[in-house]
Amino acid sequence: MQGLVVRRLLHMAITLFVVSLVVFFMVRLRGDPISVMAPPTFSEEQVARLREAWGFDKPLIEQYVLFITKAITGDFGQSIQARRPAMELVFERLGNTYLLASAAAILGVVIALPLGILSAVKRNSLIDLISSAFASLGNAMPNFWLGLMLIIIFSVNLRILPAFGALEPAAIIMPAVTLAVGTAARLSRITRSSMLEVLNQDYIRTAYSKGLSDRRVLYQHALRNALIPIVTVFGLQLGWLLGGSVIVESVFSWPGLGRLMIESINVRDITVVQAGLLWFALSFLVINFVIDLLYVYLDPRIHYR
Amino acid sequence: MNVKTRSRSVVVLFLLMFTFVLTMQPLSAQDEVTEFVFAHSGPIRTMDAPVTWFSSTHWLTNGLYDCLIWRAADGNGYVGQAAERWENVDDLTWRFYLREGLTFQNGEVLDAEAVKWNLDRVRTREDFLVYPQWQFIADVIVVDPLTVEVKTVNPHPYFEYDVSYNGCQLLPPDYMAEVGEEEFARSPIGSGPYKLVEFTESDRYVFEAWDGYWAGPPAVDRVIYQVIPEQSAQVAALLAGQVDMIPAVPASDRALLEGAEGVSVVNETSNRITSFYLRVETETGAVAETYPDFVPATVDNNVRLAISRALDRSLLAEVQGSATPRLARVCDYYPEGSVGDIADPDFISAWYNPEMARSLLAEAGFADGAGPTIYMDAPAFQFGNEKEVAEIAAAMLEEVGFNVELNVLDSSAYSEQITSGGNNRDMMLTTLGCAPSLVPSFYRCDWVQANYNVCVDDWDALGGQILTTVDPTARLDLWGQWWDTYLNYAQTITLYEIDSVIAYNSAEFEFTPRKDGWFTFRDLLPVS
Repeated sequence: MQGLVVRRLLHMAITLFVVSLVVFFMVRLRGDPISVMAPPTFSEEQVARLREAWGFDKPLIEQYVLFITKAITGDFGQSIQARRPAMELVFERLGNTYLLASAAAILGVVIALPLGILSAVKRNSLIDLISSAFASLGNAMPNFWLGLMLIIIFSVNLRILPAFGALEPAAIIMPAVTLAVGTAARLSRITRSSMLEVLNQDYIRTAYSKGLSDRRVLYQHALRNALIPIVTVFGLQLGWLLGGSVIVESVFSWPGLGRLMIESINVRDITVVQAGLLWFALSFLVINFVIDLLYVYLDPRIHYR
Repeated sequence: MNVKTRSRSVVVLFLLMFTFVLTMQPLSAQDEVTEFVFAHSGPIRTMDAPVTWFSSTHWLTNGLYDCLIWRAADGNGYVGQAAERWENVDDLTWRFYLREGLTFQNGEVLDAEAVKWNLDRVRTREDFLVYPQWQFIADVIVVDPLTVEVKTVNPHPYFEYDVSYNGCQLLPPDYMAEVGEEEFARSPIGSGPYKLVEFTESDRYVFEAWDGYWAGPPAVDRVIYQVIPEQSAQVAALLAGQVDMIPAVPASDRALLEGAEGVSVVNETSNRITSFYLRVETETGAVAETYPDFVPATVDNNVRLAISRALDRSLLAEVQGSATPRLARVCDYYPEGSVGDIADPDFISAWYNPEMARSLLAEAGFADGAGPTIYMDAPAFQFGNEKEVAEIAAAMLEEVGFNVELNVLDSSAYSEQITSGGNNRDMMLTTLGCAPSLVPSFYRCDWVQANYNVCVDDWDALGGQILTTVDPTARLDLWGQWWDTYLNYAQTITLYEIDSVIAYNSAEFEFTPRKDGWFTFRDLLPVS
């Protein structure tokens, strides 16, 4: 197990390094940040002066070496627009994004697992039909559209939920539901198919023939064995929730990292984009790492060599 | 306890409660604060306002900082802020007399030394975006603690306009020296009517009225600047009663908001003009290196004039949604923008002449509908329907014989395109401020931009004269001549002036839009 942890940590470090390279060069591929910063009426000389002041006149390799050397110490440079440390801005928003993604993940699991299990156990019943319809709708609805519909219903018409921000606890309800619907749809489908597969196994029939109760067979024998594909999809969904927050945060003006990233990309505040993307990448890596460890716990036969 | 005693106790308890309620009533009324929530798409750049030129930041910080003087809300001249009065001593000298006893919100004295520090900061810091706008100042001299003189490089007819524009905000020098610029951006202090009490960067900014303001505290006690990126979400928040104003109503939602109870929708000029900018030469900038053999069709004056004549500005303004057709690059709210007949609707209407466009093309060697190919860039969305405006404009040009290669880009890619010199685009659609003070500068030979440079000797000299002629009558005559060249040289082809469409909670607030296209919390009044 220790070996696994060390190897995974090493992989994470290498991946982060590669991501840093990709992020650094990709954000510059979109163009020169100074061109967005400077008014169109700036003279060539003024643009050049600004470029020099921010160090964008240096060769790209030199800029990268400077960036990575500082980044290792946690210094991602100053935001071009806000004139404050980029990582400080990222940390200001990070908690809100994690909070929203966690709430959506929990909500997604709470909806998906019972729905998936029920529709597997009561295959071709009304509940299975409802579950199937929910999954199709949940997958088909764009989350920005769903978000706007929720705002119109609960904020404009019923006036019971705030339309924007994160000022009160109730403000998380609509963005979390918006994010959770897609996750619940996908998870309920995989739970259903995984449970159906397990329920047809011989050892389940054996368990029933031994006179075990439905509940015991389902939760102690079937569900645990069905969990591996569910956990795999859940891990991917967690990544999707972090990524999906970019849109949902904009619709609900949720002050999270996703919204900060969109704004920073639009105004080409590349120091903030770099810091934010690297933090997103680190979050994905940590999620994958935890999922890998969960596999070992769920199925002791799994060994990583 | 007998019945009588119990009854007496109930009466006493009732009286006590009644007295408590009575005493509470005036207190709660007294404690009632008026709160105003303003929604904006953002983003906000920095609280160190003089650093930037973006209006979203200046609208936000306007209540926090005072300037020396500022533009009057009704468009008639200027009003004093830190300066009680001011005068033009001679062609090159302006003298400001500060109000007595001024302080910043932290108690630091706002005197002539502080003013000098601020003006020197914006005119010498090359990393500030406002730096070029402040090069008209040659020196700032402290006469005494309440008097400061500003020396200009040349006689400067637009001095008051420029000295009250972006970068005019007065910051406390001692506090800045103590905490540094980075910390100042986190905890800014000004001398305006509102103090910043809390904020999350580019999200939510909460201001409270400052009792120590020289004019007394403002009418609204607490104002919140809330960034809501999605326009549809802004509309929903206004309808839900969770914000009090949105400054840019989407055309599709206007009817909905006009019909909403307690909401009013008002129009006023945004002080923004949309134009096509055409490439007239290829010798300067990066294009000469990247496209050494590139000869755009727009180098030919007849081709440019044909473009100008082929565009129906009334229709394009209609497509934009809330705009007025224009030919001048200066809004008609300024006298410079309505000299002669340049703002006359009939003249503007008659300028559209497809037949003349065809004959101009023929003169340029493109007869019988075999016009040149024009490479046109436009942003997908900047202030409203730019993509659609560009598409209709392209169709109008094709109608008279041009082939148009239209390239619609997202806003940041578009900004990159127009400021990078090394592209082979002939014309671009963009929207800029319309104040007259800098306009002639952009068409002078020494203003070498990354793209679309202009150098016409006579016009250059005329621009120089305008920028140094203080007498308004003589200056307006020069503007009349300047517009002749502007229209006929057709490097910039103005299409329309954009209106701001503002929706606000008129059940609780009184609001009159400013003539200069700005928004400030200072103008708000609670409904009495």
